[in-house]
Amino acid sequence: MPIRVNLDRVLLERRMSLTELADRVGVTIANLSILKTGKARAVRFSTLAALCRELDCLPGDLLDYEPGPADDMPDLDGEA
Amino acid sequence: MRQLRMMRALGPGSVSSFLKVILDVVFAGLWIAVGAVGLMMLAGLLLSFNPELINQISITVAGTDVLAKWPVMAGSFLATAAYLAGLLVIVERLRKIFATLTAGDPFHPDNVTRLRVIGLALAALELGRYVVWIASAWLLPGKTRVEPDLSLTSWFSVLVVFVLAEVFREGARLRREAELTI
Repeated sequence: MPIRVNLDRVLLERRMSLTELADRVGVTIANLSILKTGKARAVRFSTLAALCRELDCLPGDLLDYEPGPADDMPDLDGEA
Repeated sequence: MRQLRMMRALGPGSVSSFLKVILDVVFAGLWIAVGAVGLMMLAGLLLSFNPELINQISITVAGTDVLAKWPVMAGSFLATAAYLAGLLVIVERLRKIFATLTAGDPFHPDNVTRLRVIGLALAALELGRYVVWIASAWLLPGKTRVEPDLSLTSWFSVLVVFVLAEVFREGARLRREAELTI
Protein backbone atom coordinates (compact mmCIF):
# COMPACT_ATOMS: atom_id res chain seq x y z
CA MET A 1 0.00 0.00 0.00
CA PRO A 2 1.62 3.28 -1.10
CA ILE A 3 -0.20 5.22 1.65
CA ARG A 4 1.67 5.13 4.97
CA VAL A 5 -0.02 6.05 8.26
CA ASN A 6 2.11 7.99 10.74
CA LEU A 7 -0.29 7.66 13.65
CA ASP A 8 2.30 6.22 16.04
CA ARG A 9 4.70 9.14 15.39
CA VAL A 10 1.97 11.75 15.95
CA LEU A 11 0.80 9.93 19.09
CA LEU A 12 4.36 9.95 20.41
CA GLU A 13 4.72 13.68 19.71
CA ARG A 14 1.44 14.39 21.51
CA ARG A 15 2.32 11.93 24.33
CA MET A 16 -1.07 10.31 23.92
CA SER A 17 -1.86 6.62 24.24
CA LEU A 18 -3.84 4.67 21.67
CA THR A 19 -6.49 3.91 24.31
CA GLU A 20 -6.96 7.60 25.11
CA LEU A 21 -7.22 8.49 21.41
CA ALA A 22 -9.72 5.67 20.87
CA ASP A 23 -11.86 7.06 23.71
CA ARG A 24 -11.70 10.60 22.36
CA VAL A 25 -12.37 9.72 18.73
CA GLY A 26 -15.00 7.07 19.43
CA VAL A 27 -13.24 4.33 17.46
CA THR A 28 -12.37 0.95 18.96
CA ILE A 29 -8.75 0.24 19.91
CA ALA A 30 -8.82 -2.72 17.52
CA ASN A 31 -9.73 -0.45 14.59
CA LEU A 32 -7.15 2.15 15.58
CA SER A 33 -4.53 -0.63 15.72
CA ILE A 34 -5.51 -1.67 12.19
CA LEU A 35 -5.01 1.95 11.12
CA LYS A 36 -1.72 2.31 13.02
CA THR A 37 -0.21 -0.87 11.61
CA GLY A 38 -1.11 0.12 8.03
CA LYS A 39 -3.59 -2.72 7.48
CA ALA A 40 -6.55 -0.38 6.87
CA ARG A 41 -7.95 -0.25 3.34
CA ALA A 42 -9.71 3.10 3.76
CA VAL A 43 -10.32 5.89 6.27
CA ARG A 44 -13.65 7.68 6.53
CA PHE A 45 -13.50 11.47 6.33
CA SER A 46 -15.40 11.57 9.63
CA THR A 47 -12.71 9.41 11.32
CA LEU A 48 -9.92 11.47 9.78
CA ALA A 49 -11.59 14.69 10.92
CA ALA A 50 -11.97 13.34 14.47
CA LEU A 51 -8.34 12.22 14.53
CA CYS A 52 -7.15 15.64 13.30
CA ARG A 53 -9.37 17.37 15.87
CA GLU A 54 -8.11 15.32 18.81
CA LEU A 55 -4.46 15.26 17.72
CA ASP A 56 -4.52 18.91 16.60
CA CYS A 57 -2.92 18.10 13.28
CA LEU A 58 -3.60 18.06 9.53
CA PRO A 59 -4.42 14.98 7.44
CA GLY A 60 -0.99 15.31 5.84
CA ASP A 61 0.62 14.83 9.27
CA LEU A 62 -1.10 11.47 9.58
CA LEU A 63 -0.79 10.20 6.01
CA ASP A 64 2.20 9.91 3.70
CA TYR A 65 2.40 8.79 0.08
CA GLU A 66 5.25 6.58 -1.11
CA PRO A 67 5.15 5.53 -4.78
CA GLY A 68 4.82 1.77 -5.03
CA PRO A 69 2.50 -1.03 -6.13
CA ALA A 70 -1.00 -1.03 -4.68
CA ASP A 71 -1.46 -4.37 -2.95
CA ASP A 72 -4.76 -5.99 -3.79
CA MET A 73 -7.11 -7.58 -1.33
CA PRO A 74 -6.13 -11.17 -0.45
CA ASP A 75 -7.97 -13.80 -2.42
CA LEU A 76 -11.09 -14.79 -0.53
CA ASP A 77 -10.81 -18.41 -1.68
CA GLY A 78 -7.92 -18.86 0.70
CA GLU A 79 -10.09 -17.86 3.64
CA ALA A 80 -13.18 -19.86 2.74
CA MET B 1 -45.97 -6.66 -3.75
CA ARG B 2 -46.41 -3.83 -1.26
CA GLN B 3 -47.07 -6.37 1.46
CA LEU B 4 -43.88 -8.23 0.48
CA ARG B 5 -41.88 -5.02 0.79
CA MET B 6 -43.35 -4.41 4.22
CA MET B 7 -42.37 -7.87 5.48
CA ARG B 8 -39.30 -7.96 7.67
CA ALA B 9 -36.15 -9.61 6.38
CA LEU B 10 -35.33 -11.24 9.71
CA GLY B 11 -37.11 -12.19 12.91
CA PRO B 12 -40.48 -13.77 13.69
CA GLY B 13 -43.02 -13.59 10.87
CA SER B 14 -40.39 -12.76 8.26
CA VAL B 15 -39.80 -14.52 4.94
CA SER B 16 -36.53 -15.94 6.27
CA SER B 17 -38.19 -17.50 9.33
CA PHE B 18 -40.69 -19.16 6.98
CA LEU B 19 -37.87 -20.46 4.79
CA LYS B 20 -35.99 -21.68 7.85
CA VAL B 21 -39.00 -23.78 8.90
CA ILE B 22 -39.16 -25.27 5.38
CA LEU B 23 -35.43 -26.07 5.45
CA ASP B 24 -35.71 -27.68 8.90
CA VAL B 25 -38.69 -29.79 7.80
CA VAL B 26 -36.91 -30.88 4.59
CA PHE B 27 -33.74 -31.68 6.57
CA ALA B 28 -35.69 -33.81 9.08
CA GLY B 29 -37.61 -35.50 6.24
CA LEU B 30 -34.38 -36.36 4.46
CA TRP B 31 -32.93 -37.99 7.57
CA ILE B 32 -36.15 -40.02 7.97
CA ALA B 33 -35.78 -41.11 4.32
CA VAL B 34 -32.12 -42.00 4.96
CA GLY B 35 -33.22 -44.09 7.95
CA ALA B 36 -35.90 -45.84 5.86
CA VAL B 37 -33.44 -46.65 3.05
CA GLY B 38 -30.90 -47.83 5.62
CA LEU B 39 -33.49 -50.18 7.17
CA MET B 40 -34.45 -51.52 3.74
CA MET B 41 -30.80 -52.15 2.89
CA LEU B 42 -30.33 -53.89 6.24
CA ALA B 43 -33.40 -56.02 5.58
CA GLY B 44 -32.06 -56.90 2.13
CA LEU B 45 -28.71 -57.83 3.62
CA LEU B 46 -30.37 -60.04 6.28
CA LEU B 47 -32.58 -61.69 3.62
CA SER B 48 -29.52 -62.52 1.56
CA PHE B 49 -28.45 -64.89 4.35
CA ASN B 50 -31.72 -66.81 3.98
CA PRO B 51 -32.16 -67.87 0.32
CA GLU B 52 -35.27 -69.99 1.13
CA LEU B 53 -37.15 -66.92 2.35
CA ILE B 54 -36.16 -64.97 -0.73
CA ASN B 55 -37.76 -67.63 -2.94
CA GLN B 56 -41.12 -66.98 -1.21
CA ILE B 57 -40.95 -63.20 -1.79
CA SER B 58 -41.69 -61.61 -5.12
CA ILE B 59 -41.40 -57.89 -5.89
CA THR B 60 -42.56 -56.96 -9.36
CA VAL B 61 -41.70 -53.68 -11.04
CA ALA B 62 -42.94 -53.04 -14.59
CA GLY B 63 -43.68 -56.72 -15.08
CA THR B 64 -40.23 -57.90 -14.00
CA ASP B 65 -39.42 -59.72 -10.78
CA VAL B 66 -36.69 -57.42 -9.49
CA LEU B 67 -35.61 -59.87 -6.77
CA ALA B 68 -34.56 -62.26 -9.50
CA LYS B 69 -32.44 -59.43 -10.83
CA TRP B 70 -30.45 -58.55 -7.71
CA PRO B 71 -28.24 -56.02 -9.54
CA VAL B 72 -31.39 -53.97 -10.14
CA MET B 73 -32.20 -53.98 -6.42
CA ALA B 74 -28.65 -53.15 -5.39
CA GLY B 75 -28.41 -50.47 -8.07
CA SER B 76 -31.70 -48.84 -7.11
CA PHE B 77 -30.66 -48.79 -3.45
CA LEU B 78 -27.33 -47.24 -4.39
CA ALA B 79 -29.01 -44.67 -6.64
CA THR B 80 -31.49 -43.76 -3.89
CA ALA B 81 -28.68 -43.48 -1.33
CA ALA B 82 -26.62 -41.26 -3.68
CA TYR B 83 -29.67 -39.10 -4.43
CA LEU B 84 -30.44 -38.65 -0.72
CA ALA B 85 -26.77 -37.89 0.01
CA GLY B 86 -26.80 -35.21 -2.70
CA LEU B 87 -29.97 -33.65 -1.29
CA LEU B 88 -28.53 -33.76 2.24
CA VAL B 89 -25.37 -31.99 1.05
CA ILE B 90 -27.50 -29.26 -0.55
CA VAL B 91 -29.89 -28.78 2.39
CA GLU B 92 -27.11 -28.90 4.97
CA ARG B 93 -25.17 -26.15 3.11
CA LEU B 94 -28.38 -24.12 2.70
CA ARG B 95 -28.99 -24.32 6.45
CA LYS B 96 -25.46 -23.11 7.15
CA ILE B 97 -25.92 -20.22 4.70
CA PHE B 98 -29.17 -19.41 6.46
CA ALA B 99 -27.44 -19.46 9.85
CA THR B 100 -25.04 -16.76 8.59
CA LEU B 101 -28.02 -14.75 7.37
CA THR B 102 -29.79 -14.89 10.73
CA ALA B 103 -26.47 -14.00 12.39
CA GLY B 104 -26.48 -10.84 10.23
CA ASP B 105 -23.42 -11.85 8.20
CA PRO B 106 -24.70 -13.34 4.91
CA PHE B 107 -21.59 -12.39 2.90
CA HIS B 108 -19.29 -14.60 4.93
CA PRO B 109 -16.49 -15.98 2.69
CA ASP B 110 -17.50 -19.56 3.60
CA ASN B 111 -20.83 -19.01 1.83
CA VAL B 112 -19.04 -18.76 -1.51
CA THR B 113 -17.67 -22.28 -1.08
CA ARG B 114 -21.05 -23.50 0.18
CA LEU B 115 -22.84 -22.13 -2.90
CA ARG B 116 -20.28 -23.72 -5.20
CA VAL B 117 -20.74 -27.07 -3.44
CA ILE B 118 -24.52 -26.70 -3.90
CA GLY B 119 -24.00 -25.99 -7.61
CA LEU B 120 -21.73 -29.00 -7.99
CA ALA B 121 -24.19 -31.21 -6.06
CA LEU B 122 -27.06 -30.08 -8.32
CA ALA B 123 -24.93 -30.86 -11.39
CA ALA B 124 -23.97 -34.25 -9.93
CA LEU B 125 -27.64 -35.08 -9.21
CA GLU B 126 -28.55 -34.22 -12.80
CA LEU B 127 -25.69 -36.30 -14.18
CA GLY B 128 -26.74 -39.10 -11.80
CA ARG B 129 -30.18 -39.04 -13.41
CA TYR B 130 -28.59 -39.82 -16.79
CA VAL B 131 -26.48 -42.60 -15.24
CA VAL B 132 -29.61 -44.14 -13.66
CA TRP B 133 -31.39 -44.00 -17.00
CA ILE B 134 -28.49 -45.69 -18.82
CA ALA B 135 -28.18 -48.34 -16.08
CA SER B 136 -31.93 -49.03 -16.03
CA ALA B 137 -32.03 -49.30 -19.83
CA TRP B 138 -29.19 -51.81 -19.61
CA LEU B 139 -30.51 -53.87 -16.67
CA LEU B 140 -34.23 -53.74 -17.55
CA PRO B 141 -34.28 -53.67 -21.35
CA GLY B 142 -37.62 -52.55 -22.75
CA LYS B 143 -39.11 -51.98 -19.29
CA THR B 144 -37.90 -48.51 -18.51
CA ARG B 145 -40.21 -45.56 -18.99
CA VAL B 146 -37.72 -42.87 -18.05
CA GLU B 147 -36.99 -40.64 -21.02
CA PRO B 148 -33.40 -39.47 -21.47
CA ASP B 149 -34.42 -35.81 -21.75
CA LEU B 150 -31.87 -33.07 -21.30
CA SER B 151 -33.48 -30.99 -18.57
CA LEU B 152 -32.58 -27.39 -19.37
CA THR B 153 -34.27 -26.19 -16.17
CA SER B 154 -31.90 -28.27 -14.04
CA TRP B 155 -28.80 -26.98 -15.82
CA PHE B 156 -30.21 -23.47 -15.65
CA SER B 157 -30.55 -23.80 -11.85
CA VAL B 158 -26.93 -25.00 -11.68
CA LEU B 159 -25.91 -21.89 -13.64
CA VAL B 160 -27.96 -19.64 -11.35
CA VAL B 161 -26.26 -21.09 -8.25
CA PHE B 162 -22.78 -20.57 -9.71
CA VAL B 163 -23.65 -16.98 -10.68
CA LEU B 164 -24.93 -16.42 -7.12
CA ALA B 165 -21.65 -17.84 -5.78
CA GLU B 166 -19.74 -15.23 -7.77
CA VAL B 167 -22.09 -12.50 -6.49
CA PHE B 168 -21.40 -13.69 -2.95
CA ARG B 169 -17.65 -13.69 -3.68
CA GLU B 170 -17.84 -10.02 -4.57
CA GLY B 171 -20.06 -9.42 -1.52
CA ALA B 172 -17.48 -11.13 0.69
CA ARG B 173 -14.72 -8.96 -0.81
CA LEU B 174 -16.74 -5.80 -0.12
CA ARG B 175 -17.46 -7.02 3.41
CA ARG B 176 -13.73 -7.53 4.00
CA GLU B 177 -13.03 -4.06 2.64
CA ALA B 178 -15.72 -2.57 4.89
CA GLU B 179 -14.13 -4.37 7.86
CA LEU B 180 -10.82 -2.65 7.07
CA THR B 181 -12.41 0.78 6.65
CA ILE B 182 -11.83 2.79 9.80
